[in-house]
Amino acid sequence: MKIKKRDKATWIVRGVTLLIVIAIAVLMFIIGRGHTIYFDNKPFESAGDKIEAPYKVEVLVGGEKVARLKEGERGMVETMGQSFDMQLVITKEKNGKSSKVKVSLPIPYNMDGVVINLPAMLAGKGPEDYMTEFVPTPSSAELEDEEVVTDETEGLMDFGDE
Amino acid sequence: MKKTSIRDLVTRFSVPLMFVLICAVCAPISGLSPTYLINEIVTRMGRNAFLILSLLIPIMAGMGLNFSMTLGAMAGEIGLILVCDWQIVGIPGMILAMIISVPISALLGLFCGKVLNMAKGREMITSYIISFFINGIYQLVVLYMMGPIIPIKHGSIKLPRGYGIRNTVSLLSMRQKLDNLIPLNIAGIKIPVATFIVVFILCIVIVRFRKTKLGQDMRAVGQDMEVARDAGIDVERTRIISMILSTVFAGIGMIIYLQNMGNIATYSSHSQIGMFCIAALLVGGASVDKASIGNVFLGIILFHTMFIVAPKAGTVITGDSMIGEYFRVFVSYAVITVALIMYETGKRRAKSREGQMLAQQQEVSDED
Repeated sequence: MKIKKRDKATWIVRGVTLLIVIAIAVLMFIIGRGHTIYFDNKPFESAGDKIEAPYKVEVLVGGEKVARLKEGERGMVETMGQSFDMQLVITKEKNGKSSKVKVSLPIPYNMDGVVINLPAMLAGKGPEDYMTEFVPTPSSAELEDEEVVTDETEGLMDFGDE
Repeated sequence: MKKTSIRDLVTRFSVPLMFVLICAVCAPISGLSPTYLINEIVTRMGRNAFLILSLLIPIMAGMGLNFSMTLGAMAGEIGLILVCDWQIVGIPGMILAMIISVPISALLGLFCGKVLNMAKGREMITSYIISFFINGIYQLVVLYMMGPIIPIKHGSIKLPRGYGIRNTVSLLSMRQKLDNLIPLNIAGIKIPVATFIVVFILCIVIVRFRKTKLGQDMRAVGQDMEVARDAGIDVERTRIISMILSTVFAGIGMIIYLQNMGNIATYSSHSQIGMFCIAALLVGGASVDKASIGNVFLGIILFHTMFIVAPKAGTVITGDSMIGEYFRVFVSYAVITVALIMYETGKRRAKSREGQMLAQQQEVSDED
């Protein structure tokens, strides 16, 4: 009877351990998801609606300046997790006064790369307007066929018979 | 108490002494600055220690040098490839890769342990050949199954033909994340504190494990299998557990190793790792049947000092860096060969000594 009780306890401990490991894995999936965020300081146009881009936008992430964008420029930063916090220092006109804005955005899990149109976001448009997925175009090097070498002794057994 | 002569000590520590000599000669010739040298050794210690520590448990169980640690390395690589494709980055990516690698390593360790139980007394050569066999299966999985059966999304990982993994997978998103987690720089020497903490935890686990019932069983099995069996120890089970533990630790060690390197050579990273880890352990003064944590660290220091200084010294002496490259590679293999010869010679000597003693005892009893 005692042995059966101990067996049961062992299985419970194993089950709980497995559950904890699975929970950690799920947590890592969520908090460790990497995204590349692209910031566009470009004029935004949609259904006849046009929003002009400011003269200069500086993007700070975690207190560190990651991009300094003049009109029409794009910057990027690598980030981890499902929410993205940044501080924008906006200068609307040349030699004009700059203002600071703090922004916190939820990043869609399924998107590796996200393009944020800063003028649209600052104008109060919805995420469906200012956020689009970045689809990379494969470089010519990526498209080039690659010879896979799996055997380090490849060719050593070639005695030139044929 | 038996007195140890200087000759015995020199014989026992001949390999580390030889390496101390090589390093002492080559280091000044190489012209490398002490700061650079120490920096490199510290980095390599963080990179390799976990992997080499994984070799200690099978030695404790009398299974010799675990050449099949590459099985764990392959499991670690599979974990990293999947994590890279899922775009899980940084430390969470490493942890997830470890979680994925553990069941794969455990299964491979179980298989390896079962096979080694069928080949008792020939564990090292068997484990060496198993690593080639599993490498074939790894290639089948990575080269043909990843893509059509195991979904791989990203073109930077997948071969342009649509299936299979590229020769090199970038780990830029988790490169040195563990090493730099707790940054510490002393006199220009970068110390990977977090990695050392992980290695230290494994050292503690190994030390504590030796004192557990299972650890004691392993030591008993390592000393004499028949006596252990008579004492009621399930020898086969104990040996399998030692292989599972070693393979699982090797998988985790490979992830730590690759995060430091920053990329995976998909088809070759694992193939050399077993050989170099075993060579480093032997250089530290370990033998086929006896190894300690001290041997691991001494081995890393000596073996990797030789690895760093040999090509430079070769260039200075001969004008050709390849001489140094050849030198360090052939020395690695030579160390393993010498260790195996010494082990076999020792075993034969002990056997003949036992025989002589038995003959003497018989003579005495006949005279009586």
